[in-house]
Amino acid sequence: MTVPNEHILFLAAILFSIGVCGFFIRRNTIMVLLSVELMLNAANLTFIAGSRMHSTAAQAELSGPIFAIFVILVAAVEAGVGLALVIALFRRKQTVSLDQLNELGD
Amino acid sequence: MSVGAILCSLVVVSARNPVVSVLSLLGSFVCLAVIYLLAGFQFMAAAQLLVYAGAIMVLFLFVIMLLNLGTSEEQNGPIDRTLLRARRIPIVFAIGAAVFLLTLFGIETQQTIMEVDPELAERGVSSMSGLAELMFSTYLLPFEAASVLLLSATIAVIVLAKRGRTELATDASAEVTQ
Amino acid sequence: MEAASYLWWIPLLPLIGAGICGALHLATLRARKSNPDAKGPAGFAPLVASAAMGGALIFSIIGFLAICPCEDNVVDGEQIVALQSSTWSWISVADLRFDLTMWLDRLSSIMTLVVTGVGLLIHIYSAGYMKGDKGYAKFFAYLNLFCFAMLMLVLSSNLLGLFIGWEGVGLCSYLLIGFWYEKGWPAEAGQKAFVVNRIGDAFFIIGSFILIGVFGTLEMQDIGAQVPAMIDAHSGKLALAALLLFGGACGKSAQLPLFVWLPDAMAGPTPVSALIHAATMVTSGVYMIVRLNPLYAASPGVLMFIGCVAAATAFIAGTTALVQRDLKKVLAYSTVSQLGYMFLGIAAGAWGAAIFHLVTHAFFKALLFLGAGSVIHGMHEEQDMHKMGGLRKHMPRTYATFLAGAAALSGLPLMSGFFSKDEILAKNFAMGGVNYLFWMAGVVTAAITAYYTWRMVALTFFGEERFDAKKVHPHESPALMTGPLFVLAVLSIIGGAVLGLPHVFHLWNHALDVWLEPVVLGGNEILSAQKGMHMPLHLTAVREWILLALGSAVALFFAHKGFHDHKRGLAMDESVQGAFPVAHAKLTDAWGIDSGYARVIVQPVKLLAFVIAVIVDQFAIDGAVNGAGRMASDFGRRGRRLVDGSVSCYGLWIGAAAVVLALTWFWRGN
Repeated sequence: MTVPNEHILFLAAILFSIGVCGFFIRRNTIMVLLSVELMLNAANLTFIAGSRMHSTAAQAELSGPIFAIFVILVAAVEAGVGLALVIALFRRKQTVSLDQLNELGD
Repeated sequence: MSVGAILCSLVVVSARNPVVSVLSLLGSFVCLAVIYLLAGFQFMAAAQLLVYAGAIMVLFLFVIMLLNLGTSEEQNGPIDRTLLRARRIPIVFAIGAAVFLLTLFGIETQQTIMEVDPELAERGVSSMSGLAELMFSTYLLPFEAASVLLLSATIAVIVLAKRGRTELATDASAEVTQ
Repeated sequence: MEAASYLWWIPLLPLIGAGICGALHLATLRARKSNPDAKGPAGFAPLVASAAMGGALIFSIIGFLAICPCEDNVVDGEQIVALQSSTWSWISVADLRFDLTMWLDRLSSIMTLVVTGVGLLIHIYSAGYMKGDKGYAKFFAYLNLFCFAMLMLVLSSNLLGLFIGWEGVGLCSYLLIGFWYEKGWPAEAGQKAFVVNRIGDAFFIIGSFILIGVFGTLEMQDIGAQVPAMIDAHSGKLALAALLLFGGACGKSAQLPLFVWLPDAMAGPTPVSALIHAATMVTSGVYMIVRLNPLYAASPGVLMFIGCVAAATAFIAGTTALVQRDLKKVLAYSTVSQLGYMFLGIAAGAWGAAIFHLVTHAFFKALLFLGAGSVIHGMHEEQDMHKMGGLRKHMPRTYATFLAGAAALSGLPLMSGFFSKDEILAKNFAMGGVNYLFWMAGVVTAAITAYYTWRMVALTFFGEERFDAKKVHPHESPALMTGPLFVLAVLSIIGGAVLGLPHVFHLWNHALDVWLEPVVLGGNEILSAQKGMHMPLHLTAVREWILLALGSAVALFFAHKGFHDHKRGLAMDESVQGAFPVAHAKLTDAWGIDSGYARVIVQPVKLLAFVIAVIVDQFAIDGAVNGAGRMASDFGRRGRRLVDGSVSCYGLWIGAAAVVLALTWFWRGN
């Protein structure tokens, strides 16, 4: 049973929207970063699906996976830097709750 | 697999405890890796598991533990809830492991794919080399740039997370006076 | 023509004088800041100003002598008829070229002599009259500025320079009429003068545009030379241009319907009335038309129109002067009336006669105004004749010179006014046709003129004293003021005989006509061709003597009547007012023309201005602008709430923007 391409794209879409909701809803900064990772994963899935769609019997389209690798790489970098920022922030404010991180408040 | 991925991500965004979120994200990654396998991209699956699940999530867990965010502030409920949640963790682990084992067996389906599409098997074998070929020819520049990016990110992380000089000094003086 | 760069000094000296007097005034103001009673250096102002005028007069005389027809002034075997100064190139665009050149020919030399001569006398007079005024130096600065503008007007070789002077005299008139603006009504009078003048100026500009279109130049000599060639093809345009330029002259020279500013202009100091509204500015319209005499000769319809307007103006103004109580207002309406006479001369093609009357009028009207100023000064600013009387005992010198002026104005025989007025009437008579009507109107107006002039003299200087002798002590004016009066009196008496003795006297030739012959040659030729008569017209000796006798009789009779009716006092005035109250009121108000303007034109305009200022400007425009401002600040306030520091909110906005971008990308079909 071959998984049809549309299903994969559909899944990617759902995952992405879930990640977006998490990004907006969560109060904890780290949860926000986590949702970002989820979104990136959905993007990777899309790339893979695309590669699958455009591969012919003769020649496999490999720019999909390559791009996905780069995405993973960038996601790693971003997670690292983001977490470093969170640590620094925590040192200053003793909290990572977004509500209490608001210095511009009314 | 898809259902599993979706369920896990739902848990990610709705869990109270950050640790639970991280673990369910792990589960989501695993499901996705399986999907990659099913699609015939073994390298991707391996890379996903190695980097994402192995390194990044571990990093997240480190930070959560470091900052002691296990108990979120809004939740100062009775201990039973905590116990309950604490109990949930092994359950999640168990489910995740089961899923993984199941999918490992599901690799058999790859053979199903190979039956359907014999060239796919060959492709699957050569996908690794194909990737390597591409990486070092067409996408060489991004590859090198990526290495620079990693280097700079490392430096940035170190700088960012380092304690400030005054903090160090006060800490040092505090240690000395004590 | 001959080159003479010293011509530039004639207008420039008064300009420099104005600048110096202005500086003196500022210095005086600064001195007064520390000490309110300080006199400052303002006392030097009359010296500076008079010196400037004197210098201009000297140069005018030099120029005059240079173009006198005598053996010294012959170049290349030809008589010099004109001097031309260096040219200042001003506008040079494609085919159009406008320069400023000072051109002194016979006509402009007369004008400059009048302006500088009478101007100098008035400057000297003002030194005495305005003494003690807070704006002493400022007055002289304005006077000199006016003389600069007027000299620019008469010396320019093209209509553009003339127009500069035209506007300049209008401006100075405004400044000088409203000199005592603290009183309130002089400022309004000045504004009225300026606005009414402006209406005339609009006609002037459009007329000059037509001239540029037809001739391609505004040089008056060139226009004059080219008119004969253009008559057949462009007679309609020429007539239109002539008519429009006359419209401008109506504004400046206070003819119907634009004369309403002149009586109001009496709010200014009397020397101003003498200089500007008797001798110089109001005559600039006449000068302009005589300058362009070929153009007007080529438009006989316009000449007839001018005659009608002039006759009507002279009559209406004369009748109005009959019932005025204010001394200066009598003289103001008299000026309007006499200006009508000048234009009557033009209507008959008698250019020389118009200029002749211009010159004599300058003499005697300035004299009358200055004399009135002396009276008013002595009566402590009282201007109502009903409150004067019997002043000849108190102010003998003023009385004597005033008599001379009155004699000239009323046209008593052998006075200057007699000769000039009669010449105009004679030329109109000689033209025949519709000019007969003009002649009759002129004779009637002469009668009226004699009557009101001597009424004025009688009410002011004769009869019992109608003022309170305890409160008012009339005294003679100082020598600074009576000196110029004397000079002008002499000129008023003999000026006519010297300048314009009619041929029939067989004593000496009509000097002015001979003098102006080259200037009016073009116009006369055109008129001769049109009418089949030989211009300038000459009546037979018999006819001329009859007309002279008729003029003398009319003048003497009505002068006598006017004098005797009012010698005893106000009885005549009061009985007239009682018998014809409505007519009297209407006449006093200048036939209701001014108040008619106020009702029909000024009120609606004021209403419109109010509507625009309050309703449109305040509500609509301000509302819109302020509303825009308010909208902007509202948006700002609302927008500020977007960026309130909550990260998730930022995240939402980022997401929303991303969605919008994605949608756009999809729809653009990338």
